[in-house]
Amino acid sequence: MDKLRDKVRNLLAQGKVAGYIGYIMKDGHPLPHFFTKDRLEEVDRAIVAPGDARYPLDKLLQQAAAAAPDAVFAIQVRGCDERGLNELYKWGQLDPEKVVLVGIACPQDQADYCECPGPWTTVIDSGEKCQPVLRSPRVDRIDSLAEADALQEWTTHFQRCVKCYGCRDICPMCFCKECALEHQDLMSTGAVPPDTIFQLVRAVHMAGRCIDCGLCEENCPADIPLRVLYKKGNLLVKALFDYDTGSPEAGPSPWKFLGADSPLATKPM
Amino acid sequence: MAEKEFEPKILGFFCNWCTYAGADLAGVSRLQYPPNIRVIRIMCSGTVSPHHVLRAFQKGADGVLIGGCHIGDCHYLRGNYMTIKRMRFLQDLLKFIGLEEGRLHLEWISAAEGPKLAETVRNYTEKVKNLGPSPLKRAALAA
Ligand code: SF4
Ligand code: SF4
Ligand code: SF4
Ligand code: FES
Repeated sequence: MDKLRDKVRNLLAQGKVAGYIGYIMKDGHPLPHFFTKDRLEEVDRAIVAPGDARYPLDKLLQQAAAAAPDAVFAIQVRGCDERGLNELYKWGQLDPEKVVLVGIACPQDQADYCECPGPWTTVIDSGEKCQPVLRSPRVDRIDSLAEADALQEWTTHFQRCVKCYGCRDICPMCFCKECALEHQDLMSTGAVPPDTIFQLVRAVHMAGRCIDCGLCEENCPADIPLRVLYKKGNLLVKALFDYDTGSPEAGPSPWKFLGADSPLATKPM
Repeated sequence: MAEKEFEPKILGFFCNWCTYAGADLAGVSRLQYPPNIRVIRIMCSGTVSPHHVLRAFQKGADGVLIGGCHIGDCHYLRGNYMTIKRMRFLQDLLKFIGLEEGRLHLEWISAAEGPKLAETVRNYTEKVKNLGPSPLKRAALAA
């Protein structure tokens, strides 16, 4: 933790960043916090949030950057948060020149729980690399089900949805000004449970955009295994378009360009 | 009394320049195909968003058939490159949640392919008939 605090203190004291978006221990609670030079002593209480107290810091950064477009901010990132930043740069939501990373490597139990293939960051200021989880047993389980069983499972999940929009609101990658989930030509608005397609619409939107932080699923009051759906979406995007969501090397999102040729063929009837 | 045979509802999205013209040709050639399909004429298959397909299933479609120009023939040059990206993805996603394969079908049919149009609609109607009513429709009604 000392290494992390020293780095943050230096960044702030030397005026390299206008603020640091991280976590603070406050009255025994780990909370997201915006650290500034004016209150440098708070850095003594800067922490790495425990795995079950993560917040969408990338989303807070987007708000800070929108309010102060010229300012540079430092931000605490885990592997998923950094993937999120990479994707947000691509979608023009953040400027990489204006972001300084304070990187965290997740512990093994976190990576196992997340089924995370990249549980660390390019710069590591706290923690040590653990074993990545390269396959998702949760996705594999659904894949192995018979169609009718899979559908039964998903529709049972979907019917529990209370349409709180928590999954969207917490998602660092949901930045649209107008949301299809509230569009009355696309969705039955004002009804609970929502349309069966509610989660599918979101799954389509998240494909190639979700960086698999899992916050939506943790936030969902109905315990819908949303992460499994979006994990699969990204696996399909990888299989069909060879696109690694959140990787800086992956090039533009497949949804953003038509392509010089079309290597895909239609499926036989 | 014999049970009434299931008549599927199929929604077609046909691009104006190729598949819709192919349907016209099938019409003037007096080729027969079943009336289960309701066709929406669109300017390019690339204008069909996954939203439209999902909305169709929500509203009770048993199958969705998208028809566009062959690759290389799109009148907006490469609109159908996006069509196939989106629809291949959506087909696989629907499969993952357990919807039978084939409920969403994409076919390239040119303006000259009236017979292919009629045959595709015939075969597709038969296929969806065999699949039975869409389980998504049942789920939507139950909700
Ligand atoms: S997805 Fe989970 S394990 Fe991976 S970087 Fe994020 S918090 Fe860590
Ligand atoms: S896991 Fe959920 S909250 Fe995180 S990026 Fe994906 S959709 Fe958004
Ligand atoms: S968080 Fe869960 S209950 Fe709330 S809208 Fe999303 S899926 Fe539905
Ligand atoms: S104009 Fe027919 S597919 Fe684009």
